[in-house]
Amino acid sequence: MSWNRVAVVGAGLIKMGELFDQSYEQMAAGAFSAAVASVDKGFEPELVEAAFVATQRGTLWGQEGIGGNTVPTAIGLTGIPCTRIENACPSGSDAFRVGAMAVASGVHDVVLVIGVEKMRDKSTEEGLLSRAAAGHPIFTRGETAPVLFAPFATRHMADFGTTREMLASVAVKNHYNGARDPYAHFQNEITVDDVLKSVPVCHPLHLLDCCPQTDGAAAVLLVNAERAEEFTERPVWVAGFGVATDHPYLHEKSSFTEIKATRLAAERAYAMAGVGPGDIDCAEVHDCFTITEILDIEDLGFVEKGKGGPASLEGETALDGRIPVNTSGGLLAKGHPIGATGVAQITECWWQLRGDAGERQIETRHGFALQHNAGGRGSGVAVVNILTNRR
Amino acid sequence: MNARLAAVGGAAPTHRLPAAAVGKAWGRGGGRGQAAVCAPDEDTLTLAWEAGTRALDAAGIEPAAVDGLWWGTTRPPFAEGPSHAFLAGALGLAAESGGALSSGSTHAGIDALAAASDAIVAGSARVALVIASDALRAGVGTAAEARCGAGAAALVLTADGGAASIGARITRHLPVVDRYRGDAESDTRDLYDGRLFREEIFLPLTSGVVEQLNALDPRAWSLPDPDGRLGGTLAKQTGAGAPPSAEVYGELGDTGAAAALLGAVGALDAAGTVGIVGYGGGRATAIAIHADRPVPGATAVARAISEGEEIGYTEALRARGQLVASGETIPMGVPPESAMFVRGAEEMLGLLGGRCVDCGTISTPPSIHPHCIACGGPKLEPVALARQGTVHTYVVNHTMPAPFVAPLPLAVLDLDDGARLMLQVVGKGEQLAIGAKMRLVLRRYAYERGVPVYGFKAKQVPSAAEVGQ
Repeated sequence: MSWNRVAVVGAGLIKMGELFDQSYEQMAAGAFSAAVASVDKGFEPELVEAAFVATQRGTLWGQEGIGGNTVPTAIGLTGIPCTRIENACPSGSDAFRVGAMAVASGVHDVVLVIGVEKMRDKSTEEGLLSRAAAGHPIFTRGETAPVLFAPFATRHMADFGTTREMLASVAVKNHYNGARDPYAHFQNEITVDDVLKSVPVCHPLHLLDCCPQTDGAAAVLLVNAERAEEFTERPVWVAGFGVATDHPYLHEKSSFTEIKATRLAAERAYAMAGVGPGDIDCAEVHDCFTITEILDIEDLGFVEKGKGGPASLEGETALDGRIPVNTSGGLLAKGHPIGATGVAQITECWWQLRGDAGERQIETRHGFALQHNAGGRGSGVAVVNILTNRR
Repeated sequence: MNARLAAVGGAAPTHRLPAAAVGKAWGRGGGRGQAAVCAPDEDTLTLAWEAGTRALDAAGIEPAAVDGLWWGTTRPPFAEGPSHAFLAGALGLAAESGGALSSGSTHAGIDALAAASDAIVAGSARVALVIASDALRAGVGTAAEARCGAGAAALVLTADGGAASIGARITRHLPVVDRYRGDAESDTRDLYDGRLFREEIFLPLTSGVVEQLNALDPRAWSLPDPDGRLGGTLAKQTGAGAPPSAEVYGELGDTGAAAALLGAVGALDAAGTVGIVGYGGGRATAIAIHADRPVPGATAVARAISEGEEIGYTEALRARGQLVASGETIPMGVPPESAMFVRGAEEMLGLLGGRCVDCGTISTPPSIHPHCIACGGPKLEPVALARQGTVHTYVVNHTMPAPFVAPLPLAVLDLDDGARLMLQVVGKGEQLAIGAKMRLVLRRYAYERGVPVYGFKAKQVPSAAEVGQ
């Protein structure tokens, strides 16, 4: 059945937001402490044999070229091997996969996967907004982050009759969930009308269709499955993962109604875990924009292609729906500190599979949770990780 | 032997600034007429490309058949640099084609025509492309500001065939300073006393050449009119009647080096002789063009000149780079590597793709696609991409850092040859829709370290109803 060679025995994050009062190192330390404190039977930090650090936008805080080597110092473990994983928006997801492979290989028994991103130390104009314009001297002029997703919305609306209300329902649902997540950047509920009346950012997307620029950090502790019981009676297992790439520039896309990399990554993760979309109890998916979540639930196989809009509007992805999606509030409400995002999503899956999600807890009938990121220029890369509480 | 004229073309920016708006801003009362102002992504080079492309299309001549480009402008985008090579590359002219860039004064347009004509007569070129383009910029608040315009005219000259021939040429010169722009100055200044200029410089120089050409009894004249009054005085003095060039000045203002040719090419829509007078920099030249029949492209010139939309003074200042927000960074935040420009210049200016020998899919640009995007095949042959297509999907970006100005539409286009491109769209994107027909036009994308970066943008093709057909 499932792969189950690696167990997640601890997970934690810091409250996401505009953390002007915290440095990159302080955020990393906060996430590490939260993960250590979450281990049921206690955890000595010195047990960590290696760390994998996910950071994507080092350019936003002036540490572009130094790998991950400020993190061991920040968490008091100077001397351990530490490697930075950078793979666009799925950096945290991919660091998790690499950490799991490091444990599964037998080289390490205990590994820390930590994602941390400082998004707000630079102004909006100097931050992600302008950086996204880099790349090819002509093709990328005027391309900011929303330009990488809004063309999919335009085409999805034309081909499938997806409406702006359907898009907005994603933001409404995720803000509802975020209001029940103490770690979320935004903890207020919103209405469809709020979304429709928010300022236009990149037609057809408006402000509340977009995730915020958020500072944050998250950490998980992975151990060899044979040693899991040293740390907890309720481990969560890594059931499978998949990564895929696609052409990065938008004009190379064969379709604007699917994210091909997501579909391919999901196929690989499902095959590895020996499950299908119907076996997933809940999912944390990449909702950087409302259209992205609609594409995700189609490409991950939760709903038929083209039906993502109506499914969202009709509550199929709500906490009490057929397949709850982004119970944490998602990127739209919880925030999108890029390197930390995937690791924070894993944390939510860990809580859900252990029954620790409080007010957001959903029923885990099958015992599987799925985590997904897509990103890079034009969603050129996607990662899917599947976790389970079934041995 | 005379050079023959196969076809003509014209182009003008879409922005029109009423003189009254400039007057009002400075508390100077009205002012008649209007002037064409370049949009932030237009300049003398993009206008030249548009006019040149139209003239070659009207002539039915492939760019590769052109032996040389003679381009006259007072404002080459690079004061020292590859202005001529950039324009030739964007037009798709052969790498071994020749020609020259004339500049230094508004006489440059007529210099280009004269030099190209001589090359044909001398036998050193069989097909010559002549382009005169300009985008004048006067100092803010100067008297010249309300009449400084922009536009371009193009003529395709050949050794034989053609509907018209280039005839007599008369030149005079007088070494006195009128207009002036020195090294590193971006605004043109007038140095003269108006009355002194008219009586001692302009009228003696221009009327001298007009009188000599009068012997040919032209049916129409293109006369210089730098201030909106001198042209009328010259016409009256020489008995030229109301020259067609007056309409061009009325629509576009003073188009500088382009004015002489732009005022003439539209008048070549009927048989007869058109007299052209080029003026500037202490020189005046008259040239006669004899049309045996209507010259291809001539009737379309009027439409190119008249398709404009009114803008306000603030928008015009912003477009001309004379009004900059406090703290605005004009260069892009992230300049690409120089090597990327070297690899990318030819394929971007020439709009090249790589067609897969195995499956036929076109990947673009070639330098970032050593393998086919569809089948992964390694064998690609360079192809010039189609210049028109339809919108596959699009967005309108409302939030960007300076120097971009919102709303900025971007569209993924399905070109007629099957290639797909994502480009900025000219205008504000109000009418943009999936399936809309677009054509590709050369525009300036940005400045990198002060250097202009050119590439193609998509422009919506107006429906038949909109162009009144």
